[in-house]
Amino acid sequence: MPELDDGVQLSVDNLHMSFGGVAALRGVSIQVRQGEIFSIIGPNGAGKTVLLNCISGLYRPQRGKILFEGKDITHLRPYQRARLGLSRSFQKIELFRGMTVLDNIRLGRHIHMRAGLLDGGIYLGGAAREEIQNRDFIEREIVDLLEIAHIRNKVVGMLPYGLQKRVELARALALQPKILLLDEPMAGLNLEEVEDMARFILDANEDKKWLVTGVLVEHDMGVVMDISHHVAVLNFGEKIAEGAPEEIQRDERVHEAYLGEKEELYVTRR
Amino acid sequence: MSVMRLPSGVYHETYVQDHAWWQTRFVWVRMLILFLLLFVGIPGLGNLYIVSVANIVGYTILSALGVQLLIGFAGQVTLGHAAFIAVGAYTSAIAMLQFNIPYPVSLILAALFAGVWSVLFGLPSARVKGFYLIMTTMAAQFITVDFVIAQYVSRIGGRGHYFSLPPGTISVGPWVIDSELSTYYLMLILVIGSILFMGNLLRTRIGRAWIAIRDNDIAAEVLGVNIVRYKLLAYFVAGVLAGLAGAFWITSLYFVSPEHFQWSWSLWLVGVILIGGVGSIYGVIYGAMFMTLVPEALKALLFLLTQSPELVALFPFIPQLLDKFLFVKEATFGLAIVLFLLYEPKGLAYRWWQIKNYIHLWPFSY
Repeated sequence: MPELDDGVQLSVDNLHMSFGGVAALRGVSIQVRQGEIFSIIGPNGAGKTVLLNCISGLYRPQRGKILFEGKDITHLRPYQRARLGLSRSFQKIELFRGMTVLDNIRLGRHIHMRAGLLDGGIYLGGAAREEIQNRDFIEREIVDLLEIAHIRNKVVGMLPYGLQKRVELARALALQPKILLLDEPMAGLNLEEVEDMARFILDANEDKKWLVTGVLVEHDMGVVMDISHHVAVLNFGEKIAEGAPEEIQRDERVHEAYLGEKEELYVTRR
Repeated sequence: MSVMRLPSGVYHETYVQDHAWWQTRFVWVRMLILFLLLFVGIPGLGNLYIVSVANIVGYTILSALGVQLLIGFAGQVTLGHAAFIAVGAYTSAIAMLQFNIPYPVSLILAALFAGVWSVLFGLPSARVKGFYLIMTTMAAQFITVDFVIAQYVSRIGGRGHYFSLPPGTISVGPWVIDSELSTYYLMLILVIGSILFMGNLLRTRIGRAWIAIRDNDIAAEVLGVNIVRYKLLAYFVAGVLAGLAGAFWITSLYFVSPEHFQWSWSLWLVGVILIGGVGSIYGVIYGAMFMTLVPEALKALLFLLTQSPELVALFPFIPQLLDKFLFVKEATFGLAIVLFLLYEPKGLAYRWWQIKNYIHLWPFSY
C-alpha cells in the first residue's frame, strides 16, 4: 500500500470489482487531495460509475480498500458514509419526483437533524425549531447559491431536466459534505446550463463556507480540462493515466483509448 | 404534500407561518366549525344511531392510519394489520381484567406492546419486498389471531373463549365509558390526537425518511437514511396506532373475541386506503367515511324498499337481502374497489384536491 502523503482525503487502493465474469474494475487506485477537483474520465464502459458506486458504498468491491480521512470505510453501509461526509449525485437523476424541491433538499439535511419519534410527532419546541433552523440554512446557503428560489415549491417531477440536475446538486450539497461525488453532472445539459453547473461546482469548491472536495465523472472534456486539478483516465477497468489536465491532453495512451489506433480511425471515417 | 397556493394579498413573512398547517384565517374558521360540529353538533342531535356510526368511522380511521403509514408513506405492503389491533385489544383487556390496571395505562401498554409485536413481523421487510412481504404480513395475521390469541391468550384467566367486559369496567378516572356517547368522545380524542401526531411526523425528519424510502430507497440510503431502522420504525408506529385502535374498540364491545379481528378486517383496511387515496392522511378519513357510510346507506335503502308491499311482491328477494346484509356489504366492497381502481385510482382525496383547485381557479378553471 502506498504511503499516504499529506492532504490525501480519499484514497482508493487496488480496487477489484467484477459482475459475474465481467471485470469492471481491475486494480484501480486513486488518491484525492483535500480541496481539489478530481475528474475521472474514460470511454463508455470503462468503469467510472462502478468506481463511484464503490466509493459511495452502493457496490461492494471484491478486493481493495477505500480510505476516507485515514479511516477504512470499505465495509461501511452507504448511510454511514453519508454521515462521515460523502455525498453524491447520480447519472440518471434519482430525485424524489413526487416531492417539492424544498422537501428534496430537506431530505439532504437528514443527517444534520435530530428530531425523534415523540419530538417530531408533537412538533413543539425542539422539532419545530429544528425545522426552522434548517429551512433557514437551506434558503440562505443552498437555494441562494444554486439560484433555485423561483422553483422551491414546485414538484420536482414537473421540472425541466436541467433544473432537476441542479436540484440534485442542491440536495447533495445540503448534507454539507466533505467530498462531493458527481456522476456526469453535465450530461444532457445545454451550453448555458453546463456553464452554470460548472460555476456552481467551482463555487462549492472555492467558497470559504464550503471548500468541498469534488470527484467528478464526466464526458464533457471542455469542463474537465477547465475546472479539474487532477484527472484520472480509466479504460476497461484499469487506470491508464493520471495527472494534471495538460499532461492528460498530451498523453498518447489516452488518445489511443479514446480514438483507437490510427488505421482503425480511417476505416470508421470511410 | 401538495403545493399550497395562497389567496392573493396574503404573504408569509416568517418560516413559522410558511411551515404552519392552517395558514389563512379562512382555514382557521373552517377548522373551528369542524371541531364544533364534531364535539357539539353530532352529540347534540341526540340520535344514538348517528353516534354509533360515527364510532365505527372513528375506529376505521384509527385502524387504517397504521395501514396508510405502512403502505402509503413507507411503501411496505401489509395485509395483516388486524393482528396488531387484536394485540392492542387483548393487551388492554387483560391488563384491566387480570391486573386491575386503569384503562388509560392499559391503553399505553396496548399501544407499546402492539408496536413491539408489529416490529417483530416487520423484521422480514429488511430482506424482502413487495409480494413476498405481503405473505409475511399475512403470516402475522394467522400466527397472532388464529394461533396465539385463539389457542393461548383467550384461555388466560379460565374465562373460556371470551373476555367479557360488563358496562362499567372501563373508566378514565371518574369518567366511566359505558355508553355510545362516552365512547364517541374517547374516539374523538384518540382520532384527532393520532392524526395530529402522524401529520407532524410526516413533516419532520422521520416522516420524510419514510417517504424517501417509499419513493427511492437507493437515493434515501445515499442521503444518510438507515433504511432498515426506518422501516422498523414505521412498523413500530403502525403497530402503536393499531394497538390504540384495538384498545379503543373494546370500549364499544361487551366482550373481546378473536372473531372481531379476522383477516377480512385487514383486507377491509387496505380497501379503505385504496378508496380514500394512498399516501394521504385525508385519504384515511374519506376512505373510512365512504366504507362505513355507503353500506349503512344501502342498508337504509333496502329497509325502505321492504316497507312497500308492492315492491316486495314484485322483487321477493329484497327482504332476504336485508337478512343477509353481510354478503351485500362485502359484494359492495368488492365492486367499489374495482370501480375505484378503474376510474379513480388516486382515491377520494385526490378528487377532493381537484375540486378545491377547480374552485380556486374559478372562473378560469379547466
